[in-house]
Amino acid sequence: MRKVSKVAKAWDRGFRVLAAIGAASPAVFLVSIAAIVLVESIPTIRFMGIHFLTETRWDMGNLYGALTHRNGITAPAGASYGALVFIVGTLLSSIIALVIAVPVSVGTALILAYRVRGPLGFLLNILVELLAGIPSVVIGLWGILVLVPWIANALAPFLKSVLGFIPFFGGQTGTGYSLLASGIVLAMMIVPIITATTRDLLMQVPLLAREGGLGIGMTSWEVVRYIALPYIREGFIGAVALGWGRAMGETMAVLMVSGNATNILPQNLYSPISTMAAFIANQLDSAETDASGMAVHALSELALLLLAITLATNLVARWLVRPRRRGGVVAP
Amino acid sequence: MKLRSKWFAGLAAVAAVGVVAGCGTSNSSSSTQNAAPSNSSQQAASVAKVTLTETGSSLLYPLFNAQWIPAYHKLHPDVQMTAASTGSGTGISDAIAGTVDIGASDAYMADAQIQQHPDMLNIPVAISAQQIMYNLPGVKGHLHLSGEVLAEIYEGKIQYWDDAKIKALNPGVKLPHQVIKPVVRSDGSGDTFLFTQYLSKSSAAWNQNYGYGTTISWPGLQTEIGAKGNQGVVAALAKTPYSIGYVGISWLDKAVQQGLGYAALENKAGKYVLPTSATIQAAAQEGVKNVPADERISLIDEPGANSYPIINFEYIIVKDDQPNAAKADALKAFLNWAINPSEGNSAKFLTPVHFLPLPTSVHAKSEAQIEKIKG
Amino acid sequence: MRRRRRKWKSAFGWGLAWLAFALVLFGLVDLVGSVLWQGIRSFHFSMLFEPTQGIAGGLENAILGTFELVFIGVVFAAPLGILGGIFTSEFAPPRLAAVIRFVAEVLSGVPSIVIGYFGYLLLVLHFHWGFSALAGGVALTLIMLPYILRTTDTSLQQVPLLQREAAWALGMTRTQAILKTVWRPAASGMATGLLLAIAIGLGETAPLLYTAGWNSNNPSLALTHSQVGYLTYVAYTYLDEPYAQARQLAYAAGFVLLMLILVIQLVVRFVVWRSAARSGRSAA
Repeated sequence: MRKVSKVAKAWDRGFRVLAAIGAASPAVFLVSIAAIVLVESIPTIRFMGIHFLTETRWDMGNLYGALTHRNGITAPAGASYGALVFIVGTLLSSIIALVIAVPVSVGTALILAYRVRGPLGFLLNILVELLAGIPSVVIGLWGILVLVPWIANALAPFLKSVLGFIPFFGGQTGTGYSLLASGIVLAMMIVPIITATTRDLLMQVPLLAREGGLGIGMTSWEVVRYIALPYIREGFIGAVALGWGRAMGETMAVLMVSGNATNILPQNLYSPISTMAAFIANQLDSAETDASGMAVHALSELALLLLAITLATNLVARWLVRPRRRGGVVAP
Repeated sequence: MKLRSKWFAGLAAVAAVGVVAGCGTSNSSSSTQNAAPSNSSQQAASVAKVTLTETGSSLLYPLFNAQWIPAYHKLHPDVQMTAASTGSGTGISDAIAGTVDIGASDAYMADAQIQQHPDMLNIPVAISAQQIMYNLPGVKGHLHLSGEVLAEIYEGKIQYWDDAKIKALNPGVKLPHQVIKPVVRSDGSGDTFLFTQYLSKSSAAWNQNYGYGTTISWPGLQTEIGAKGNQGVVAALAKTPYSIGYVGISWLDKAVQQGLGYAALENKAGKYVLPTSATIQAAAQEGVKNVPADERISLIDEPGANSYPIINFEYIIVKDDQPNAAKADALKAFLNWAINPSEGNSAKFLTPVHFLPLPTSVHAKSEAQIEKIKG
Repeated sequence: MRRRRRKWKSAFGWGLAWLAFALVLFGLVDLVGSVLWQGIRSFHFSMLFEPTQGIAGGLENAILGTFELVFIGVVFAAPLGILGGIFTSEFAPPRLAAVIRFVAEVLSGVPSIVIGYFGYLLLVLHFHWGFSALAGGVALTLIMLPYILRTTDTSLQQVPLLQREAAWALGMTRTQAILKTVWRPAASGMATGLLLAIAIGLGETAPLLYTAGWNSNNPSLALTHSQVGYLTYVAYTYLDEPYAQARQLAYAAGFVLLMLILVIQLVVRFVVWRSAARSGRSAA
């Protein structure tokens, strides 16, 4: 047995320490982010209480007047921070994004997994992954350039004429900067995630099971519907949840096409909205003009809320997509 | 081995970037302007390069960035200045935080802010104004609008262009039956400050419910459009038929080029005036009678039959204690140049943006404030 | 009869699937196409060598700034991520490894604007760095780190245990085994992870809005108290200007970004293809 030299052992220990520092770094960063966001939110939590979640009006107060005290906190007169508009905007735009993205992703994943092969398949897979890499600003650019005018001139009047009897689809068709535009842009961003994950899941469905279905006389579509899709159900739900988490945290593309509404809940599909992430991005520098600092604390509570919701969604997604010991399916 | 050649390629790429960056850095001072070398007798004393960063008002930006910086750089090539148009709110907060040297703002700082930061100076450098612009295809001339009508438009109480109240002010003008789309500033804006002050002074209801400020809680309207910066408002107005918005006067020519019209506003005496140098001058003459030493004062709704109601001082927000002497001297030199009626405050610079120079009394007060800047 | 109906249903179902696929392709082509089309029309090669001047000019400052920010991000994120990935894969007991992976997942799920907000409060204001390259670079580090850690971890996990055991049997310490042999098969995975992290960093805007600031001059070598321009800022801000040249600059910035990311993705594909060809497995 060759003896390991002392130097080598020292290097080994040293390297392990370095590597441990590297492994600990995400935890350190995560804790600092959560800590700062939480600590900065405390004044608003005390000031607004539960009304933060239920009020529609986001009012920084009279910044040119005297400061007042309420609940032991100093704030400008008339200040009231209600985040309901942003919560509704975030949830609605993410839901619409899912409504568009999920069927489209399932269809695309089915084609990519079961219908295309060889070099063409390779190319098409690459194209879909290309979509995943496009920066959100570029998608926002396309949104402003192409999508918003198209919605204002074509899609909104069309939807109104066809589905106008449903209150949500009727009413004013707006300027194109809308809930609909935000939903479509978000859908563009989450389709690659859901498609890639679903495609990998579909490819994991045991060939035997699918061929068995064909063997007893099912059509290929019935094989998909009754064998493949149920097989991947949990992994698929996890992928959808991942997409939802991504949609809720998305900032730039939504900021550019949503219309940046304040103090008003969306009344129909074509109303302007504002999401939590977009509002923080938009308002952080104006918040600094508040002498009492309450506006920054209020944005911090909004960030805390956003953080909590996206993390909860991500955790649920990870839990659903965890590897199982069932018949060879390893969800990514 | 093959992996090694990849690393080589990567290193070469990084080295290439480094070389370009190096070239870029050394070129940056000369490539910003193609100006001839300075031959002025006003060479700055310091040899080392000083950088002055500015951010804030989009109203002041066309003057600051397109006119003052190139001209000043010609005289002082060792002073490098950068400007950004981010809104007066950001100008004030970044100046307070020290992240920029010069904050530009159409709005003066609030009392509460001054109390918290007594070392901040609000120095007027020019007089500017604001107009109400609209996109009404087919309507020629200038609509007459009053503060009350504007307040009701922005509250959503007046929804259509052919509303009785607008028609009453504009007999004989054919107004379309279309929904009015008000444009507001979504960023912290000095223009919002000016406009909402005008509304607050004209409408008791607005003053009660919404007040004024660089950011206010606008009434929630379905039709409202939020835009960033004066440039964003002009772009939004040009894109959206039947919209109305408030725009700083330095953007007037650009906006009119895009086909937008602007209104004659009702002043305190009940007359409807357009923003011309005569009407702005008339209002300024009334307003400067009461300027305090710290020069924070509103010039909105000044009395006088010929006074334009929405005028203001353009403020430079700076700290009076600078980190070092070089920066303090550079700042003082620039600011003095800017308010000098034969230099920065001359018609050559101000007329293209429709600004007016500082009156003599205000000029003296600004000079006094500039003297307070210490390194 | 029923058979025919089932056949129609099958055709209909697959038809819908093909429609969805076509929709995605169409959306992608429209997006990339319109950005490329506007970009090509607006882009001049001179833009690469001219900084932004006011409302127009060039993109030199933005491109150099983007490179500088991503470079700083990589300088911090790569060592931390790679070392962390090595620790998770090679040294950590299974429970600890699961915790580390979990924390990395959670960090990667933090919305980028929250990271920007954190960077602004802590680095720009509290540490008094001001809007700076360092603040922007650290914000990008937070975005890239979990990604690099995860891909390093996964690539190392793919290396068969036999390789390590052979090294240990020869008397190497674990560190020696990793540094001398285990990393090689994982190298392509790690490289692609790094490249993709760089692509992500290139396209980020929200974390940089309140940490890097903006500068129309080329970046100086100052790490603090000197604002830095970046491409995504140009694309975001200059789009809404009433000046045609400003809008063109925005399109050109979007075009340059798209090109850079395309190139990186192609390089990644190439690396994957070559490593797969070399080891004889079929490409994933």
